[in-house]
Amino acid sequence: MQRYSVPALVVLAGLILCLASQFGWIDLYVQTTIMFLFINVIMSTSLNLINGNMGEFSCGHAGFMCVGAYVSSIVSVALFAKSSYFGAPLLPPAWAVLGMPLSLLAGGVAAAFAGLLVAFPSFRTRGDYLAIVTLAANYIIMSVFVNLDMVGGPRGFMGMKKVISAMNEVADIPWMMLLTFACTVFTVFILRRFLSSSLGKGVNAVCQDEIAAEIMSVNTNRIKLVAFMLSSGLAGLAGGLLAHIMGYVNPSGFGILKSTEAMVMVYLGGMGSITGAVLSAVLMTGLIELLRPLGILKWVVIPLLLVLLMQFRPAGLMGSRELADVFPRLRRFYKFK
Amino acid sequence: MSLLEIKDLTIRFGGLAAVSDFECAFAGGELMGLIGPNGAGKTTVFNMVSGFYKPSAGSIVFDGKNTAGLKPHQVTALGIARTFQNIRLWKEMTVLDNIRVAQYYRLGYGVADCFRRSRRYMEREAQIEHTSREILEALDLARSADELPTNLPYGLQRRVEIARALSLRPKLLLLDEPAAGLNSADVEGLISLIRWVHEEYKLTIWMIEHQMKVVMSLCQWIKVIDFGRIIAEGTPDQIQSNPEVIKAYLGDENI
Repeated sequence: MQRYSVPALVVLAGLILCLASQFGWIDLYVQTTIMFLFINVIMSTSLNLINGNMGEFSCGHAGFMCVGAYVSSIVSVALFAKSSYFGAPLLPPAWAVLGMPLSLLAGGVAAAFAGLLVAFPSFRTRGDYLAIVTLAANYIIMSVFVNLDMVGGPRGFMGMKKVISAMNEVADIPWMMLLTFACTVFTVFILRRFLSSSLGKGVNAVCQDEIAAEIMSVNTNRIKLVAFMLSSGLAGLAGGLLAHIMGYVNPSGFGILKSTEAMVMVYLGGMGSITGAVLSAVLMTGLIELLRPLGILKWVVIPLLLVLLMQFRPAGLMGSRELADVFPRLRRFYKFK
Repeated sequence: MSLLEIKDLTIRFGGLAAVSDFECAFAGGELMGLIGPNGAGKTTVFNMVSGFYKPSAGSIVFDGKNTAGLKPHQVTALGIARTFQNIRLWKEMTVLDNIRVAQYYRLGYGVADCFRRSRRYMEREAQIEHTSREILEALDLARSADELPTNLPYGLQRRVEIARALSLRPKLLLLDEPAAGLNSADVEGLISLIRWVHEEYKLTIWMIEHQMKVVMSLCQWIKVIDFGRIIAEGTPDQIQSNPEVIKAYLGDENI
C-alpha cells in the first residue's frame, strides 16, 4: 500500500486537474497559469541540476528551451497540420493524438544535442568562464532561429493551434493540461532518480571537488556530458509545451530574460534541492499572478521580496535539503527509491 | 613482473625541472617512503603517478600497462588510489556517499538503468552500499556513516579519506602526508592504522611524510629527493645517518 501511495496521489492530482479543466470548474486564465506554472517547474528543476547540483553557472537555459520549442512545433505542424511553411500535412491530422508526445520528445532530444554546445566547452573551463559560454550559446541559438526564414525568422512560427484542434476533434479533453502535467511529473521523477543514484551523486562530487572526483575514478567529462544533455533536454521539453500552449513561437521570447527567470527560481529555491526548485517555481508563478493588480509596481515588489529573502535565507528557501529531510516522517510513509 | 616501474621520470614547468630522472620500482607488497625538504617535488611525483600531470619524459608502467596518456580516473581504475595532502573529501555529502561515489569505475550500470531502476541497477546499488558500509565498519567509521565530513574531527576526516581510497580496492595506495595536521595521539592511531591496512589488504603503500616518527616506524625502504633528484635511498637506519640527507635537511655547515 505504501508503495503505491505517491503514484496514486500523483494520478489523482492529474485527474482532478484535467476534470476541472474539462468541465470548466476553473476558467481558461487559471488553466493557462497552471500550465505556465508546470513549465516553470520543469525549467527550474532542470536548471537546478546544472546550477545547483553541479555548481556551474549556466545562464543560457532559455536557449535550449527555444530549440525544443521550435523543433517540436516544426515536427507537429509538418506532420499534422496544413501550413504555409510545409504545405499539406504528411500524416492524417487525427494521428496527432499519438504523435504529439513524440513531437515533444523530438524537441527534447534536439535540445539535448544543442546542450553539447555547452557540454564540450565545460570539459576545459568552468565557473565564470563557462557562464560566458552558456550566455553565448543562448545568443547563438536565438540568432539561428531569427535568421531561419524557412520557419518565419523574427516573425515567429505558428500553426500549432491547428494541431491541438485536430486532437480535440478526436477526443475533446484538455490535451495540453494533460501533457504538461505528465511532462512535469516525468521531469521531477527522472531528476530524482538520477540524483539519488551513486552515478548521479557524481554530479555533486564534481561540484564540491572536481579534482578529487577525477582521482576517485569519477569520469568527470562523462558526468558533465550527461548532466548538460539531461538538463537541456528537459528544458527543450518545456519549450515544446510552451510553444503548443501559446500556439506560436518567437525567438525573442527565449532571450537572457527568460534564462534569468529560470535562474532566479533555482536560487530562490535553494541550490541542489529538487523540492526547493519546485516550490520556488510555484511561488514565483503564483506571486506574479497574485500581484497582477499592482500593475507595474509588481516589478518593484517581487524583486524586493527576492532581496529580502536572500538577506534572511541566503541559501534559498530549502538550502540543499529535500522534502524528506524537512519532514523525516515522510520516509516512514514512503520509501524513496 | 613488478607492480610499478618508473623510469627516467621528468617533468618541466616552463624552464624549471621540478622532477628529473626519477626512478623507482615496486615488486608489490612494500611499504615505501618518499621524503625530502619542502618543494623537493614529492607531491609532483605522486601527481604524475596518479595521472594528474603528464610527465615531460620517462615512463610509468603499472601492472604491465603504460599509464602515459591515461586520464586520472582511468589510472585509478587500474588500481592506484591516493589521498591528498590537504583533505579533499566532498564536504557536503555524507561519509557513506563519499565512499559510494568512489565506486564509480565499477558501477556496472548506465544512465538508462538509473532512470528505469532496472534489476541490474538495484543489485549493483545494494552491492555498492554493502561494500561501502563494510569498509566503514572495517575502519571503525560505521558510526559516522551519515555525518557530513565537515562535522568530524580532523583525525577522523583523515580516516575517512583513507577509507575512501581503500574502497577503490587499489593495488597501490599513495598517501600524501597522512600525518599532516594531526596531534600526537592521532599520529599514533594513524601509524597503527597504516600498518593494519598494509597487512589486512595486502597492499603496496607508498607514502610521503614529513614526520620522521611515522616514516621511521613504518617504512621498509625510503627514497629521499631534493630539487627533483633522488639524493639517497635505503632503510630507515641508513637514511638517518646519510650525510647527504642531513645536508639537504639541515644545510651545509661549511658555508
